[in-house]
Amino acid sequence: MAINPDALQDIEAVVQGFHKGGYVLDRALATSIYLLIKLNKPLLIEGHAGVGKTEVAKVLAAFLRTDLIRLQCYEGLDVSSAVYEWNYQKQLLAIRLQGDSDRPIEERVRHIFGPEFLLERPLLRSIRHESSPVLLIDEVDRADEAFEAFLLELLSDFQISIPEMGTIKAAHRPYVVLTSNRTRELTDALKRRCLYHWIDYPSREKEMEIVRTRLPGMDAELGTQAVGFVQAVRQMRLDKPPGVAETLDFVEALAVIGNGQLDARAVEETLGCISKSVEDISRIKAEGIEKLLYH
Amino acid sequence: MLSQTIVDFCRFTRAHGFGGGVLDTLEALESVRVVGGGDGTSFKHALRTSLCSSKDEWDAFDDLFDRFWNGTPGKKHQHQESGRDARGSRILAGLTGQAVAQSQNDGKAVSGASAYDRLVKTDFSEISGNDQSVLEKIAQRLFKQLNVRLSRRRKIVESRIQIDLRRTIRQSTGRGGELVDLRYKGKKPRPLRLVILLDVSGSMNLYSVFLLRFAHALQNRFMRTNTFMFSTRLVDITGALCSPDVTDALKALSEIRAAWAGGTKIGESLRTFNLLYGRKLLARDTLFIILSDGWDTGEPELLASELHTIKKRVRRLIWLNPLLGLEDYQPVTRAMAAALPYVDVFAPAHSLESLMNLERHICSMSS
Repeated sequence: MAINPDALQDIEAVVQGFHKGGYVLDRALATSIYLLIKLNKPLLIEGHAGVGKTEVAKVLAAFLRTDLIRLQCYEGLDVSSAVYEWNYQKQLLAIRLQGDSDRPIEERVRHIFGPEFLLERPLLRSIRHESSPVLLIDEVDRADEAFEAFLLELLSDFQISIPEMGTIKAAHRPYVVLTSNRTRELTDALKRRCLYHWIDYPSREKEMEIVRTRLPGMDAELGTQAVGFVQAVRQMRLDKPPGVAETLDFVEALAVIGNGQLDARAVEETLGCISKSVEDISRIKAEGIEKLLYH
Repeated sequence: MLSQTIVDFCRFTRAHGFGGGVLDTLEALESVRVVGGGDGTSFKHALRTSLCSSKDEWDAFDDLFDRFWNGTPGKKHQHQESGRDARGSRILAGLTGQAVAQSQNDGKAVSGASAYDRLVKTDFSEISGNDQSVLEKIAQRLFKQLNVRLSRRRKIVESRIQIDLRRTIRQSTGRGGELVDLRYKGKKPRPLRLVILLDVSGSMNLYSVFLLRFAHALQNRFMRTNTFMFSTRLVDITGALCSPDVTDALKALSEIRAAWAGGTKIGESLRTFNLLYGRKLLARDTLFIILSDGWDTGEPELLASELHTIKKRVRRLIWLNPLLGLEDYQPVTRAMAAALPYVDVFAPAHSLESLMNLERHICSMSS
């Protein structure tokens, strides 16, 4: 049963709820999410790769005990894969089957453009859902501007027009989370529709807390050292600085490979968790793993 | 009472470069109401999430908030520089005031092409009025080819025709479901975006005026073009080139003294570009053209890393080097050597003929 937004007491409840879902939330982001729920406005989250933008939507869905509907954006994303599509095969069959009937043509047309021939794609599904779902529009910066304009319409009215059927209005407005990696600037109009939050790399303390929450059985000493190392690596000028996801992989890998003690050799063997580009790895090695480890 | 102050604060942020309007103010008021008075931090967080809409604003917010709520209220409206404005004005100051001094200093430091070399390459400077109209025509043709051959993204990915089942079926209901007429669909062609960076430093003197004409022609026929020129600094000249008359445009440009002549800092100019325009202009449908001889007084490492950033985000990175017209030219300057790994097309641009070749390069790669 989905949680009623009115039942949500205060921001602290959001922090607690997310903590249960394994997400360490600071007050600032908690406030944004609280407002997202209370005002039912879309929330645009920006930040570097791997800082947990997408995770917010997943945990939010669990927190509100509702479904998560995800739309992954990519270049060339169009209405037929984002909103709806007619089920052509079924339509063709239907036309064949009623070929000999004496129903008037208008009625036949109406029949094959009825709801049972409609294939829902994420956006349409989100507004036809029986209770307010969480709609995650992931990496919206990868879709093109034309699609953004379309989103704008959806996000302001929460309705979708299908020429053959008419307008479908959302019975329950979805909670919308948009994420962007800032590979391009989003249009002002879209940004203005949304609450905004920038997620930065976590501080050392916060990252430790994340490691503790996500990997409960972890050796504390090992975790501290690993986080310190990742924090030092982030200070370097890398093409792709490691995100929190990388830290978690790194700590897990160290626990499997290493002997519970963090040394240069163990780090070198697991460096692939932190950085996924040859250039960055050689940069880290050039900087000196020992130095980064015991800075 | 508080709401009046919040409204004032919204206006204060707008006076410091924030976007938004009445709706954002209403949203801010609503947010504060929902969050409840409570403690100061959620009040601040609520305002921040409502009023900001980009990282720049996000970063500037803390400072503005402190100044408004904890600072001296009497003077608040007199501060006019936000983080963004300050950056802009610093660059602008560089364009006007310091430019003369700088170009004198840098002028000496430039290794540049020797006087002899320059004489050999004066081909463009002797262009007659006749050739100029030819040039216009070439630019026009170039633009058309670019438009048609490069902007059909679907054609490049998959060349087969797609049947538009939706329209086909709709059509066929009237014929008892017989598929008589097939309807087809294709991707709506989207014009390619051109970004042109033109080196106008001392060593490029003989080419820059001609190449500016070329850029002007491209821009006037090609909707989505942004043109910049640089020597030690980067200047956006898209606006100046907008005038349909090329003489007017060049005149407008000559008044921007900052970027003209002097030394060359390609890497730094590219960094400025990436910082200020990168996210707006670099996309998979962008054709990025650098017109430069590659004499750089900056660090080649910087040039390489900035080019790497650009290369990752654009369709094609093209470097046109007028020096390539020389038979014995080798791209061995440190900057050129550092840049080459990231360049898709490295081609000459010293004559009309070489520009024709550029067209061939682009077309052969897109098919």
